[in-house]
Amino acid sequence: MALLQIAEPGQSTVPHEHRLAAGIDLGTTNSLVASVKSGEAQTLNDDAGNDILPSVVSYQEGEILVGEQAKKFAISDAENTIVSAKRLIGRSLKDIQSKYPSLPYSFSGDENHPEIQTRQGLINPVQVSAEILKNLNARAEQALGGELTGVVITVPAHFDDAQRQSTKDAAKIAGLNVLRLLNEPTAAAVAYGLDSGQEGIIAIFDLGGGTFDISILRLNRGVFEVLATGGDSALGGDDFDVVLVDHIIEQANLTRPLSNAMERQLSQQACIAKEQLSQNNQVEVNLTIDDKAWSMSLSKETFNGLIGSLVNKTLRACRRTLKDAEITVDDVIEVVMVGGSTRVPLVRSEVEKHFNKLPLTSIDPDKVVAVGAAIQADILAGNKPDSEMLLLDVIPLSLGLETMGGLVEKVIDRNTTIPVAKAQEFTTFKDGQTAMAIHVLQGERELVDDCRSLARFELRGIPPMTAGAAHIRVTFKVDADGLLEVSAMEKSTGVESKIEVKPSFGLDDKKITQMIIDSMTNAKEDIQARMVKEQQVEASRVIESIQAALVDDAALLSKDEIIVIEEAISSLAKIALTDVADDIESAIEILNDSTATFAERRMDSSIRTALSGQSVDEV
Amino acid sequence: MNYFQLFGLSEKFTLDNTKLLEVYQTLQKAVHPDRFANGTNQEKLIAVQKSAMINDAYQTLKNPLKRAGYMLKLRGTEMPNEQTSFSDNAFLMRQMELREMLAEVKFADDIDAAVFEINQTLDSEFSLLFKALQIKLTECNSAADKLAVEDLRKLKFYQKLHVELDRLEDLLFDD
Repeated sequence: MALLQIAEPGQSTVPHEHRLAAGIDLGTTNSLVASVKSGEAQTLNDDAGNDILPSVVSYQEGEILVGEQAKKFAISDAENTIVSAKRLIGRSLKDIQSKYPSLPYSFSGDENHPEIQTRQGLINPVQVSAEILKNLNARAEQALGGELTGVVITVPAHFDDAQRQSTKDAAKIAGLNVLRLLNEPTAAAVAYGLDSGQEGIIAIFDLGGGTFDISILRLNRGVFEVLATGGDSALGGDDFDVVLVDHIIEQANLTRPLSNAMERQLSQQACIAKEQLSQNNQVEVNLTIDDKAWSMSLSKETFNGLIGSLVNKTLRACRRTLKDAEITVDDVIEVVMVGGSTRVPLVRSEVEKHFNKLPLTSIDPDKVVAVGAAIQADILAGNKPDSEMLLLDVIPLSLGLETMGGLVEKVIDRNTTIPVAKAQEFTTFKDGQTAMAIHVLQGERELVDDCRSLARFELRGIPPMTAGAAHIRVTFKVDADGLLEVSAMEKSTGVESKIEVKPSFGLDDKKITQMIIDSMTNAKEDIQARMVKEQQVEASRVIESIQAALVDDAALLSKDEIIVIEEAISSLAKIALTDVADDIESAIEILNDSTATFAERRMDSSIRTALSGQSVDEV
Repeated sequence: MNYFQLFGLSEKFTLDNTKLLEVYQTLQKAVHPDRFANGTNQEKLIAVQKSAMINDAYQTLKNPLKRAGYMLKLRGTEMPNEQTSFSDNAFLMRQMELREMLAEVKFADDIDAAVFEINQTLDSEFSLLFKALQIKLTECNSAADKLAVEDLRKLKFYQKLHVELDRLEDLLFDD
């Protein structure tokens, strides 16, 4: 029948067949991809047998290099070789320049959308991440032998809305279907939790190259409930390198500014020394200064002295997060170490002291996040319909609105479980006021200037009334990816105006499409063909899922209702054979809409079924 | 359907937290968006709505002050807004004293001891009021409910003081 013809190779219209899915750890320094193969989650290797892909992209004449190949240009061509792009995405130029003053790139573009000048033109950090994702996707497709249904991409738990949105945009540019953005510590908990089947409170200490997360979770009946999360979006192993570089510069009697090549040489040597100090008590640091060899020795003690205050910063965050979770150190049954920087001996010993127990390191701290993401991807793709596992995550930073006097009124507090929807009512303060400015912020501080500005928009068309008579309802919705949507309406007169906003730091759809087209010309692909294919895949996915729902729950519908849905299915199946992406998209929309009531009834019925399993304590 | 009904619980102020958590997890397992990652857009949309509602219900029922406010609202006794003035002058005086105590903490010779002391004071006054609220809520008549609302408003003052004390502690001990 027609339905089978629209299935793609590697995809299937038969329910419950194994779908290919992968988990991607898009790291600051290194990235990995993992997948569940014959019941076991494992990282996937490239042709050379490496699973770690350095998160480096180099824009060379006529080609874009990713990973080890790109890393070779990190010193000789620093301006065109982007390392640690994760530190740049979703950030303003001002942010970047104040946090990382000695980057070798030349920036342009506007304040909220900084771009890097390379020999291949202006590159947005989101595009750099997209290149890394594309590389990992290609690797996964080769290793698994087909196209991926979808991926789970991990992000630091404390990533704000703009950083999350940017990560999702990067996936879109890379042509990936994102099943979920998953917080890195939660992914690590999944990797460990399924191994041990443990119940109780666990702490995940995740110190990566550029970010630090601490998450407190409760494991119970297959549910991973995040109680609180904290951390620092600009603290990681790279910062250990930075203080070490400063120390070396002092010892070598160098003065800044130094050439870009010298800065890269210094940070590479500092990083090597740091890694060696995990095994040795004393190491040599070798440099080439003005073509002459220079060296110094560095002891573990000196290094510990240099990084001591940074390590203390992580412990302070641990204290605060335990308090937020309303638990004490003694409640924690297990501490899990994640991220390459937890190999630093001082970090391990201080964490052990703080939590008063030996931290778990049995899964490679570089791989544990990707492994957890792969397990979640496998479940979300539908390969384990009987799985009891459920992840309940939280938003890391409070969300609020600007009120009179430059103050922030919180609408959703940090550590609120997602998804969440909250509304707040405001009113006009002038007679006849017809518009209201709405400024959305993220952060814990009371003043607007101290919080991250996410978006500004205006609600217009408020009917003129006396001051205080209008009821303006602003609704915040955060989905399971931690992404925010804000809408506002005036409801007292029944006139509804509604606006949906995208963060000011994000890219608009037009810009994303342009980036997709740009990346296509590089790969000599055809944008039209890709869009048609994407819609065809989506059509077959939607049809498959509705047919499966009809098999299970047709009883919830009347005969007439079933006929309407079936007609929409067959008309979509027909249109999906054509090659007009827009037509297919609208047919999908029609089919989706025709199932609204069905979806609602199914959901209510599953709530009833779930509750009937519980012993209800009626009076 | 109110939140108690949604969780299959009777509308009583005292409830079993373990049971509450269990029902919460069961409901989320049924409707969480992760269950519909492969579903239609309609299913995803409704899953987000239901899951958000269950989260809100759980938070409301779990937190005793939120639960009290919610029960009073169900019974038709709304909380007056924050600007409405208090008639209980003795209470207001006490609040001012407590605020002064908070402001004095950072000048204390032994800051640790000062924080500990004010913490104890806040806790004991909070639990006295909380017990009073609990009793009034079980009476189930509108006169008692009106008095319960007053207690609840007072408890919220204590909650705010606690938040401020936490913030103060962060400031004093972090750096």
